[in-house]
Amino acid sequence: MSPASLDEALVAAAQGGSTEAFSRLVERHQQPLRAFLRRACGDWVQADDLAQETFLAAWSRIGRLKAGASVRAWLCGIGYNKHLTAVRSAGRERARAAVYEADRDETVDAPAEDKLALERAMADLPAEQRACVALCLAADFSHAEAAEALDMPLGTVKSHVSRGRARLLQALGVCDDAS
Amino acid sequence: MTQADDHLKALFALDEPAARDPVFSTAVMEKVMRRRFQEDVALLSGLSVVGGGAFWLLWPTLQPVVVSLSQGLAPALGAIALAAGALVILGARPSSALDLGS
Repeated sequence: MSPASLDEALVAAAQGGSTEAFSRLVERHQQPLRAFLRRACGDWVQADDLAQETFLAAWSRIGRLKAGASVRAWLCGIGYNKHLTAVRSAGRERARAAVYEADRDETVDAPAEDKLALERAMADLPAEQRACVALCLAADFSHAEAAEALDMPLGTVKSHVSRGRARLLQALGVCDDAS
Repeated sequence: MTQADDHLKALFALDEPAARDPVFSTAVMEKVMRRRFQEDVALLSGLSVVGGGAFWLLWPTLQPVVVSLSQGLAPALGAIALAAGALVILGARPSSALDLGS
């Protein structure tokens, strides 16, 4: 059974009320969702909290998921909206960012300089651009799939990815061999 | 895919969570089950209130029927109650309790 058809079968079972099927969907999709949220918000603890909230919301809304729709894109869309809601509560966001920065400075070692530069460059990107980069450059989403997940026009996604990529490469001091 | 993209992808891969994370999955499912339990309790509470209200409203109509039925069924209900009591006392194993199996 292909991953897509397995997802479809699990979604159908979960829509019928099977928590076992939903549990398997959680197992299958926790990695891409958490990775996306980590890159989108930069704070791993908050990302995992958001991922849990996302799955909880997904359980409530599983009946609305159309047959054949991409579960991964659907989950990332819910997660992205939750992330935006969290970002809007600016005070909490600033407090968490301060804690994260403090923790991070203590744990980073020299060989991780590139990684740190990438994280800082990601943090400087606007939220929409950052989400597009996280999906298309890090998680192998197609532009169309990212547009569906983030509820953005395809052209906007392409432009965000292109600009975000350029800014990240500039921050890393990497020559863009595509241009 | 260009070399620059490969480099970006390799850096992004450093913060990839584990493909299987039982702790995370269990935490999620615990919350899902708790949510489901709360929904069930809310549904049953709502049904109880609605059922109680309906019964209260219909009681004047139902009362004569219930009284006449209860008079007719009283002997049968008594026998059923006795049998149920015996089953509970004998631990639902009358044959072994009475040593009929050996």
